[in-house]
Amino acid sequence: MLLGVSVLVFLLVHLVPGDPIRTAMGPRYDPEVYQRLSERAGFDQPLPVQYGQWLAGAVTGDLGVSFRTGRPVMGALLERLPATLTLAFASVVVALLIALPLGVLSAVRSGSKLDYAATVFSQVGISIPDFWMGILFILVFAEYLQILPASGYASLLDDPVAWLRHLLMPAVTIGVVSGSILTRFVRSSVLESLGQDYVRTARAKGLSERVVVTRHVLRNALIPFVTVTGLQLATLLGGVIIVEFVFAWPGLGLLALQAVDARDYTVLQGAVLLIATLFLLINLVVDLLYAWLDPRIKY
Amino acid sequence: MGAVAVSRQQRWLAFLRVVVANRLAAAGLVVIVLLALAAIFGEFLAPYPPSDLDVTSRLQPPSGAHPFGTDELGRDVLSRVIVGARVSVQVAAIAVGISLVAGVLTGLVAGYYGGRVDTVLMRLMDVLFAFPAILLAIAILAVLGPGLTNAMIAIGVVFTPIFARITRASVLSVREEVYVRAARSLGASDARLIALHVLPNVLAPVIVQTSISLAFAILNEAALSFLGLGVQPPRPSWGRMLFEGRGFVRQAWWMAVFPGAAIFVTVLSFNVLGDALRDALDPRQKSAIEARGGGGPA
Repeated sequence: MLLGVSVLVFLLVHLVPGDPIRTAMGPRYDPEVYQRLSERAGFDQPLPVQYGQWLAGAVTGDLGVSFRTGRPVMGALLERLPATLTLAFASVVVALLIALPLGVLSAVRSGSKLDYAATVFSQVGISIPDFWMGILFILVFAEYLQILPASGYASLLDDPVAWLRHLLMPAVTIGVVSGSILTRFVRSSVLESLGQDYVRTARAKGLSERVVVTRHVLRNALIPFVTVTGLQLATLLGGVIIVEFVFAWPGLGLLALQAVDARDYTVLQGAVLLIATLFLLINLVVDLLYAWLDPRIKY
Repeated sequence: MGAVAVSRQQRWLAFLRVVVANRLAAAGLVVIVLLALAAIFGEFLAPYPPSDLDVTSRLQPPSGAHPFGTDELGRDVLSRVIVGARVSVQVAAIAVGISLVAGVLTGLVAGYYGGRVDTVLMRLMDVLFAFPAILLAIAILAVLGPGLTNAMIAIGVVFTPIFARITRASVLSVREEVYVRAARSLGASDARLIALHVLPNVLAPVIVQTSISLAFAILNEAALSFLGLGVQPPRPSWGRMLFEGRGFVRQAWWMAVFPGAAIFVTVLSFNVLGDALRDALDPRQKSAIEARGGGGPA
């Protein structure tokens, strides 16, 4: 699978009409630099050979150099990776903080006003454009209330408070969208679990509703939920790209967009490859976790 | 054939009943009809020409003359929101049309023939599925260059695998049905079997997916235009307006709030209607919800 992804990502640079190096250099065209970059990129070789060289490089962490700055692509990616991972992780935490209590409560009190409110919330969350929500947050919290910074990033090690203040709005933006989708899944898997025989048995032997829900229902509802959370984490990477743009969060998504803008195709190639690899890794971990949680599943 | 037609009619009746009974779905349908009207007759409905500059009334807050205010060039935001509906509808319809045709064809062929054809086609779909949708669209637009047509193609490619998967899964269950085997034993060709016997029986989940995809296509088009990769100025589009409004958030909140609200309400309507459609057309899903003691408001 990763191989297929790599072919597609490799072709990205080669499908660009015209000469990608020349395009990337733009008005700063210098024949000497051009010659060096083009030799390094191996554009004079046949395509399969180029792919082999590129793949061999990629496996050892060499993704070539930026056609624009001449810097190694890998360095630029590693610089941006922590910011993206921080944002993705924080967003998942926000999503779970919303989805778990809301989903469980609305399943246990199915048909109540709370259940209705949760349904409305998830419908709204699924439909709201994340970039619009981000702008609304900026409008309210940065412009009117002036309690949070509108954009940017601070390192956790340098200033933890500034780090958290910068992280809050982007993480909540992504978290609300993911959380609203997860709420639906928590609700339906808890509802399904509630209807099982072992729950009836647990109730029949006189256990309190609290014990029934926490010990018998939740544990079994967790299994399908892990899969969905994992898949959400993967799709969340898509949301991260746009939200990074809204909040000028210096992660991989913003790097990819800046590379598109600058026509810096090797950097774009590297960023797309790294994000797609993360995406596949998450799916793999989810599969393994699934088998571990439910011993009936064998791979 | 008669029996199939009746049951299909019944399903549409069921859908209409759901829409009428469910106020939310009815509201969604009303919004979509209004959207279609705005897309077709936008210029006639808009109070001002959407690209008319008026430097004397730049960044005016909402008022009687300009209910949604004006932008940094003095253009009427309401008029631009109305006319901007066309881009959303156009991109959503064509992009989903592309993925519908490509995906359903792929799924039909892969599911019907199985074996190596299935393996190759579905691995290809898996590769496309291995990217976050918006990232793949961005990458495609980086190659093709920004613009409306390319945005349609990009979104169409990105949505193809989901249609292929859904179709293939249904084909696998329909392929071995008695009526298909009967038609085959009568000497029907593969093309005839697929077109007349398999396709009509795998359509229900595809229709449901279409309404969901329309919502996501509108969302994705807006995102791409917001990132500067979709519709190019001066043509009004909601995503582009949001991008321009973002730069004026401090001075003119209305520039970002109203186009975003238009995207939100439209996507919400398609989603609500999609749910109603699912309840009516996908009986398995319906019975699953009923078995759980009521699925809450649809």
